[in-house]
Amino acid sequence: MISRRGLEGATAALTGAFGVAVAVSSLENGIGWSSAGVESGTFPFITGLIVMAASLWNLLYAGLWRGSHHTLVSWEDLKKIAALFLPALAMVAAVPLLGLHVASAIYMFGVLVWQNHIAPVRALAGAVVVAVALYAMFDWAFQVALPRGALGAALGF
Amino acid sequence: MENLDALLHGFTIALSWQHIALMVVGVLLGILVGVLPGLGAPNGVSLLLPLTFGMNPVSAIILLSSMYWGALFGGSVTSILFNIPGEPSSVATTFDGYPMARDGRPSTALATAFGSAAFGALVGVVLITVLASWVAEAALAFGPPEYFAVYFLAFASFIGMGGTPPMKTLVSLAIGFAVAAIGIDTVSGSVRLNFGVDELVKGVSFVVAVMGLFGIGELLLAVEEEIHAKAVSSKVEWGEVFRTVARLPRHWVTLLRSAAVGCWMGITPGGPTAASFMSYGLAKRFSRRRENFGRGEPDGIIAPETADHSAGTSALLPMLSLGIPGSATAAVMMGGLMIWGLNPGPTLFVEQKDFVWGLIASMYLGNIVAVVLVLLTVPIFAALMRVPFFIIAPLIFIICVVGAYSVSNSYLDVMLMMGFGVVGYLFKKLDYPVAPLVLAIVIGDKAEDAFRQSMLMSKGGLGIFFANRLVTTLILLGVALLVMPLVMGLMGRRARKPLLVE
Repeated sequence: MISRRGLEGATAALTGAFGVAVAVSSLENGIGWSSAGVESGTFPFITGLIVMAASLWNLLYAGLWRGSHHTLVSWEDLKKIAALFLPALAMVAAVPLLGLHVASAIYMFGVLVWQNHIAPVRALAGAVVVAVALYAMFDWAFQVALPRGALGAALGF
Repeated sequence: MENLDALLHGFTIALSWQHIALMVVGVLLGILVGVLPGLGAPNGVSLLLPLTFGMNPVSAIILLSSMYWGALFGGSVTSILFNIPGEPSSVATTFDGYPMARDGRPSTALATAFGSAAFGALVGVVLITVLASWVAEAALAFGPPEYFAVYFLAFASFIGMGGTPPMKTLVSLAIGFAVAAIGIDTVSGSVRLNFGVDELVKGVSFVVAVMGLFGIGELLLAVEEEIHAKAVSSKVEWGEVFRTVARLPRHWVTLLRSAAVGCWMGITPGGPTAASFMSYGLAKRFSRRRENFGRGEPDGIIAPETADHSAGTSALLPMLSLGIPGSATAAVMMGGLMIWGLNPGPTLFVEQKDFVWGLIASMYLGNIVAVVLVLLTVPIFAALMRVPFFIIAPLIFIICVVGAYSVSNSYLDVMLMMGFGVVGYLFKKLDYPVAPLVLAIVIGDKAEDAFRQSMLMSKGGLGIFFANRLVTTLILLGVALLVMPLVMGLMGRRARKPLLVE
């Protein structure tokens, strides 16, 4: 599905783009020497350049020259990763709306029922345990208020 | 002698019921994160970090460092019993640990691992006891140029000796530096690299990066390999444990060599993972029973375990005495030190004697507590591995989300963490090291400050880095380490060429 060559290339392009963004952005802060010493953009600018240069090397050497066409991530692998990552991403996306407690309870319920084939009643119990445990551990015991979301605000929490 | 007195004083601090209880809690939590795939020592310590803000620094560091010991031991348990390394640094333990356990000798394998691990840790702590204050004393005379040279040397040694492709290590390091620069510049007060996002003014915490890179990234990698927990018996026979430990001194050559490798890799930031692989390779090369490696050879367990633990322990030496962490976990702990208001580095030995020696004394005690607890709890933690991965993974996901959020109650951090997760997966898949990235986030600002202060001293001239013998030596050593992979590559190519012609 995805070859080593492809993944090496994509990753090098990603890091290289970050390098460009860093270098360009630090130009705003000024680079070089001023009466106050080394200007604040200098150091990030240099790191940006290093990231760009090293990424280019990785793209050419690890990607195009040495990277094989053999499959590194198969379609099966990708499906498994998606099955794990996409629901989690959905949970994170739901936090501003539902709050962390409710979002993680729904997430847990869904995972238990659809991926582990656990009976809905038992899955519901598991989901509630997760939400309550989060509340007890963070909100109550360690006084870290987890986000309540728009739902929490609407209900007055 | 002075060190011995200080150490004894440290024991009076570390030996209280409260601290022993913290050690037990820390070690147990450490074994837990060590056993669970996706959660490791760097994550575990970052997760606990916000909970230590109310504690006094000695108690806090005892809790965190005990967790580190526990995680180092926990990683070996799953390597041996399930052939699943709980930590990257215990991968090499699977080579001979699992075959030995599978052949019906799990107690022997576990006892060999824990015994040599304890020996490795002991060597590391003794090294710290003897050397740390001496190094700190020498470092007290350091000015900004010397500091920058030491940072430079540390980063160069990653590239030269990390064992990963040098250009990939460089990318990882430089990205870490850039991430460290995000937010308000401590020298000029101006905002840097916020890419138009106002909230980025507060910067990116290393905890967020650790949760994503080590937590989410590791999970995405683990799901591919589909963990099947085919456990061998996890019952511990105590008679066999004592017999095995009594047999250990016969392997003194491997023990000493591996401890030396571990200490070296721990002090220079090569890290425990590189140390355990290197030590395994050396043990195999020098063994008379080379063909037995991979089939349950005791030396094949002793070598990586000793090196892993001596590297893990001695990684705290440069953190304490120079303010440069030798491993990702040490970097997280150092971040903690700074949050507690301590200034890691040589002044610790002058201003925070109780903290330093309390910590060092607790390292002796913590490792004893860890060996005892890990042996007692093997069956319990082994049972945990039978819970399906698709139940464990979402729980770890939730823990990482909460961990990232609780750093500064920020939703942006959670999204950044997910991003770091994808980067972590890509990096691990393609042999980019992630520890340098975390290290650079933690000490990037300090390295930059050292550079800018040196430049102020010299009014912009780079000659200050060659102004005296010490700083010149450090810089040249760093340059030599940077050039090493290049030279080795060229030599390797010349050696290989005739073969290609044939």
